[in-house]
Amino acid sequence: MPREDVSEEDLRALGVNLARDFPGSTAADFRRYPVLSEGGWFTVVKHQKTLESVAREPGPLLGPIALASDGLDVN
Amino acid sequence: MTVSLKDLDDAQFAQRYGADRFTATVLSSRMRYIVQHMCTGLLNNAFSLILRDWYDFAATISGPPEQNYPMSSVSNSLAMFLGTMSEAVRNTIEEYGPENLRPGDVVICNDPYRAGNHVNDICFIRPVFAEGCIISFVTLRAHQLDMGGVVPAGFSGTKRNVYENGLVIAPTLLYRDDKPIKSAFNLIFDNARYCALLLPDIKTIYANLLLGEQLIQESVQRYGVEAYLGAIRYSTDVSAEAMSTALAELPDGVYEAEEGIDCDGVDDSVEYRIKVRITKAGPRMELDFSGTSPQARTSINAGILDTKTAVGVALKFLIDPATPFTSGAYRDIDIVLPAGTFISATPPDGAVFLYWESTGPVLLAVFRALEKALGRKAVGGDYGSLNIHNANGVLDDGTPWVTTAQCGGEHGPWGATEAGDADSYSVVYQANNLDPATEAIESELPAVVLRKEYVPDSSGAGTNRGGAAVLKDTLYLTAAEHWSSPLHTKSPSGLGVYGGRSGALGATWLFPAEDRDVVRTRELLPTSDDVYAGATPVAGMLDPETKCVDPAGEYFYFASTPVWHTTPHAVFRYLTNGGGGWGNPLDRDPERVKRDVRDEYVTVEGAYRDYGVVITGDPRTDPEGLRVDEEATRRRRAELAAQ
Repeated sequence: MPREDVSEEDLRALGVNLARDFPGSTAADFRRYPVLSEGGWFTVVKHQKTLESVAREPGPLLGPIALASDGLDVN
Repeated sequence: MTVSLKDLDDAQFAQRYGADRFTATVLSSRMRYIVQHMCTGLLNNAFSLILRDWYDFAATISGPPEQNYPMSSVSNSLAMFLGTMSEAVRNTIEEYGPENLRPGDVVICNDPYRAGNHVNDICFIRPVFAEGCIISFVTLRAHQLDMGGVVPAGFSGTKRNVYENGLVIAPTLLYRDDKPIKSAFNLIFDNARYCALLLPDIKTIYANLLLGEQLIQESVQRYGVEAYLGAIRYSTDVSAEAMSTALAELPDGVYEAEEGIDCDGVDDSVEYRIKVRITKAGPRMELDFSGTSPQARTSINAGILDTKTAVGVALKFLIDPATPFTSGAYRDIDIVLPAGTFISATPPDGAVFLYWESTGPVLLAVFRALEKALGRKAVGGDYGSLNIHNANGVLDDGTPWVTTAQCGGEHGPWGATEAGDADSYSVVYQANNLDPATEAIESELPAVVLRKEYVPDSSGAGTNRGGAAVLKDTLYLTAAEHWSSPLHTKSPSGLGVYGGRSGALGATWLFPAEDRDVVRTRELLPTSDDVYAGATPVAGMLDPETKCVDPAGEYFYFASTPVWHTTPHAVFRYLTNGGGGWGNPLDRDPERVKRDVRDEYVTVEGAYRDYGVVITGDPRTDPEGLRVDEEATRRRRAELAAQ
């Protein structure tokens, strides 16, 4: 599963102060990717060494699954 | 810093959960009582063999949309359903629209991609209202004997896509104002076989949803809505905290493992492999399945939610076995899993049916990856495949019959643990079912169960011994067509741990009546090696000449004949894999080995070879006269230890 790079600007936008919250870490220690957990799918931005998420946004209901019926508008 | 639940003072607890600690605990226990009661009601009244004799169902309670559908209680039943049902309720209700629900509704869904499991496992979901709002959902997921598709009863690894697989039901209203919606029922009945059996079972399921709803309403009347909703959160928080505490006790690190299954239903050119990379840091864990084989070409696939279940069951087994399971168990666990693998199949080509065959290795991969981290707490592997047998035919009077999961190798051994030897006759780790009674099988089917017995020296040797492989013979009295699905015969599934050895390999054979007619000769099939030469291999690693199990032999492929057509008096023989051992076999008390020889789990030769224990006497003619030769045992063990 590809894990996207995260920039320092991304982290600042998420309220992360690297020096204070993750001393010794850089933006290179974080990645963005989808996970399945309690509550369903999330797109997380996660510190890879401690597994601490600095962002957990709910993802699509079925995650990466595309149904055959997706995109068909019955209305 | 998070405060432990037990350290909350009364005021903090009441503020968080809308009730005092005692009330929240009572309501949590009562929710577990409710789901269990729903299951008892279904078990006592079901007609279908898969419900009545197998317990192929589970019940859950989930919280309302505003809480994101937390699953606060699950029944003590089929574990394979439990990890899927929280998402099944959320995905079904969100697609149907919670705003479209009203008291007296039941919504159904059976789509593996939306709700997990396979199409026969319909989720029946009923909203529970209080004060005009949804406060909960009670759900019964129950296997329907048939759900259409090209294979009667469905159990086959040869179906190539969702169209062959069976009827897919998107979220659909089945009851409104407590009245059945005829068109929804007929959607099922016009596509599924054995409708006359399905109808009373669905009525029973509905009745038990009413029971669950009624018991929740009584709880709310006694304790209030706020306390009830608080207890849902409390139940899941207890689960989350227990798993988090258990995770924290594991050493931090990165743990990797591979596992797999033999092949799919097209040919044996592709072996399907699971790769898992587990990262553990403090109270958190991430399981990344990247690199796992692409989805299979036939219905041996699992869906993403089934993989989630396997992860949860594995971790409950290994590190947090004592607390009730809820959706909260996953709070500090993230699963990384791309779509389109054989444990995350997608429609329309990635047909999902024998999902546990693919997620069983997920569980074993977690066992294997964490073995070193667990040390003495490691758990041996089980027999790995349900070896499901699905067959059908017609009686002389024209009545159709079907058997499913009754006459294959569905029951077998588990792996040993620190606590002791393993059980030899259970169902795979992800299941928690019953064993259909031989009397029930033989009273309903033109089939005779000729043997169910343990195989000596098949257990993984260890300080604590793995369970023994099970050998089972079934005679079919009429002509029949069969689908046989042993999917884990190439390598041992009974993983040995903490110095224990892995269990033996299993296999499956067909004995056509033309080869040996046990009805005419009135003799059981022997179990000696010479019996196999005339058999038709169905699956396993076998010597190509003798057809006996040989790990270095030739692989015989379970779907080389996708449908086995047999004449009357054919016999299928299933041999399961053996369970894994725990600890060094040379540390096993010689008296325990002697007892195993007496009970025929181990032969005199096996005791010498695998345990270094020299036993004199004959277990058949004088079982209580067996003796351990202590001096010879000391020498033999020293010799083995030096190797």
